[in-house]
Amino acid sequence: MNFFKRAWLNLIAKKGRTILLILVTSAILLFVLAGLLIRNAADAATSNAKKSVGATLTLSANRDAAFKSMRKSSRSDSTSKPTKPSLSLTPVKLADVKQIASLSNVKNYNLTASTSVNASSFDAISTSTSSSVSADQGGPGGSDSKMTSSQGDIAVTGVSTTALTTNFTSGGYKITKGRGIKASDANSNNIIVESELAKQESLSVGDTVTVKSVSGSKSYKLKIVGIYKAPSTSGSTQMGPGATDPSNTVYSSYTLANTIKGTKYKNTADSVTFNVSDPAKVNSVKKAGTKLISTSKYSLSANDASYQSVKASMTNIKSFADKIVWLVAIAGTIILALIIILMIRERRYEIGVLLSLGESRAKIIAQFFVEMFLVLIVAMGIAGAGGTFVGNKLGEQLVSQQTSSTATTVQSTSNGPSGQMGGGGQAPSGNAPSGSTGRGGASFMDSSTDKTELDVQVTPTNLAELGGFGLAIIFVSITLASVGILRLSPRKVLID
Amino acid sequence: MLELKNIGYWYDIQDNSLFEDVNLKFETGQSYAIVGQSGSGKTTLLSLISGLDKPKAGEIILDGQSLSHIGLTKYRQKHVSIVFQSYNLLTYMSPLNNLLTAMAVTKSSHEGDKNYARGMLQKLGLTDEQMTKNVQRLSGGQQQRVAIARTMCCDAKLVVADEPTGNLDEDNTQEVIQLFQKIAHEQDRCVIIVTHEPDVAAVCDHSYRLAHHEFALEK
Repeated sequence: MNFFKRAWLNLIAKKGRTILLILVTSAILLFVLAGLLIRNAADAATSNAKKSVGATLTLSANRDAAFKSMRKSSRSDSTSKPTKPSLSLTPVKLADVKQIASLSNVKNYNLTASTSVNASSFDAISTSTSSSVSADQGGPGGSDSKMTSSQGDIAVTGVSTTALTTNFTSGGYKITKGRGIKASDANSNNIIVESELAKQESLSVGDTVTVKSVSGSKSYKLKIVGIYKAPSTSGSTQMGPGATDPSNTVYSSYTLANTIKGTKYKNTADSVTFNVSDPAKVNSVKKAGTKLISTSKYSLSANDASYQSVKASMTNIKSFADKIVWLVAIAGTIILALIIILMIRERRYEIGVLLSLGESRAKIIAQFFVEMFLVLIVAMGIAGAGGTFVGNKLGEQLVSQQTSSTATTVQSTSNGPSGQMGGGGQAPSGNAPSGSTGRGGASFMDSSTDKTELDVQVTPTNLAELGGFGLAIIFVSITLASVGILRLSPRKVLID
Repeated sequence: MLELKNIGYWYDIQDNSLFEDVNLKFETGQSYAIVGQSGSGKTTLLSLISGLDKPKAGEIILDGQSLSHIGLTKYRQKHVSIVFQSYNLLTYMSPLNNLLTAMAVTKSSHEGDKNYARGMLQKLGLTDEQMTKNVQRLSGGQQQRVAIARTMCCDAKLVVADEPTGNLDEDNTQEVIQLFQKIAHEQDRCVIIVTHEPDVAAVCDHSYRLAHHEFALEK
């Protein structure tokens, strides 16, 4: 009968002690596993965040440079007749866009060009509010000039495709009928309208509506290819002065917006959003892109706030999970070592008998190791069964704490002191620099960044990792406890 | 077979030695009794003979080889079998498994032979039911028989017993003494029994008395 069988017989004979050992080991492994699961889930969530949250670069007119230029020209003209200073923003050229788009790690891009028109064959929805809205607050999308009578009642937001437009990708806006704007809509008069406007004016997919340029000199026939639904929570914050409701925004191809704005806007865009495939490389792409543009006219700004926010949350959770794993592993080793030391003291007589028979000390220690290994296997089964539950509960708690703290941080950083965010223009969504972006531009708050969840599941890899931890714990525990066996004199146990 | 040469043992200082310059010889096929008063050092001598402790002076020679050369663990495993007053069985096992364990540890020629172990227990009067139930549920006499059977299952030529009848009644004592005699004479082993009972010593072939730190051959 070798020490394997002795170990087995001992576990069977001492059922109460065996059950107690299994429970203690299970409890230790359960928390180690929960920590491992949360750590791995946080890793996976960070990895997923790279794919799903993404990061963007926005190419738009350099407003700082434009302001400087405006101030400079107004000073130099001080001797002549005073004129109202005007801000001159240079639209982005498509040639520059294509150069940046060819950089590695640029997944795709979305052009945005906005303007406004007056409804002709239908009526725009007019809204009145009880409180007065200062025109200085700027229109949606960060229009920084006072609204003038040259502003139409329908906002035309031209994009490359709505599938890449933040309002739609964030899930805030939804296509309810027909389809969204596609790249193939370039050079067409296809538009999508908001469902409330469509309902009000009995418009449906396939209908044609007529609009007139603000000056009234030209009219355009626009074909409705889709109807979208703006969020019902869109309140007065999204409405600029001029009493235009968010429902008065139509989306078209950027080429249509450019056509309405005038021939000089051909092959340009107000701003371009580049999606970067790996958010971690957004800064290197920005650096490379900046070299390709004239920085006196354009600015290339990075927006990886969502990624950084998720990454920060997950890093904190991972760090906490790491601490759990190590704390429990160390505490578990100490607890198990103490239990095993006590157990071995209690078994001095048995050790003495075995030594008197001529059994080697190494085999006696091996017997204890086998006993604990068998206990470990059962405990791993119990921990594996309960690990998902405990990990999920612990993970939910951690995420909820982390999310609330992140949300607070994002809120406090995005609401800057200048208060220049018009109509939902939230910092992380990134289209603020586009000064001429019309109301209802790509500025809907992207709330998806705060909805990170931990997918806590026990995999064979987790169990293997847990087994490694368990083996290490029992190895250290038995090694510590074995000091007594190595020093034990059989004479003292059996005769004295 | 076994020779003690100038053996001395003391706990703290040599001046307080239990015994010094002990020279004894033990042969196979013979039974020996070591008698003496309590505290005289006879159990200490037994622990030296059985390889549970090392002498402070002198050496123990087994078939021409010093114990320190053989190694105490190997000596206990291969050459000596011990029967204790308190039986010292593995309490979480049955008598049968106790025998099988001892046979495996000592690498007996009958290692793994359940029938041999069973037969040995039967020879010592244990029933099939008693063989498989926990050893702690047997009486003192039965446990001592199991301890003796364990010795008989192993191949060790030297059998050492420390007060093997100390916890037994008169009937069991007689049975156990006879068993040891059989082991010595029928299995051609050397049996050394430490006892303070004159009756036990009387049955053995030879008897040494330990008194005043010296051993004297009584018969």
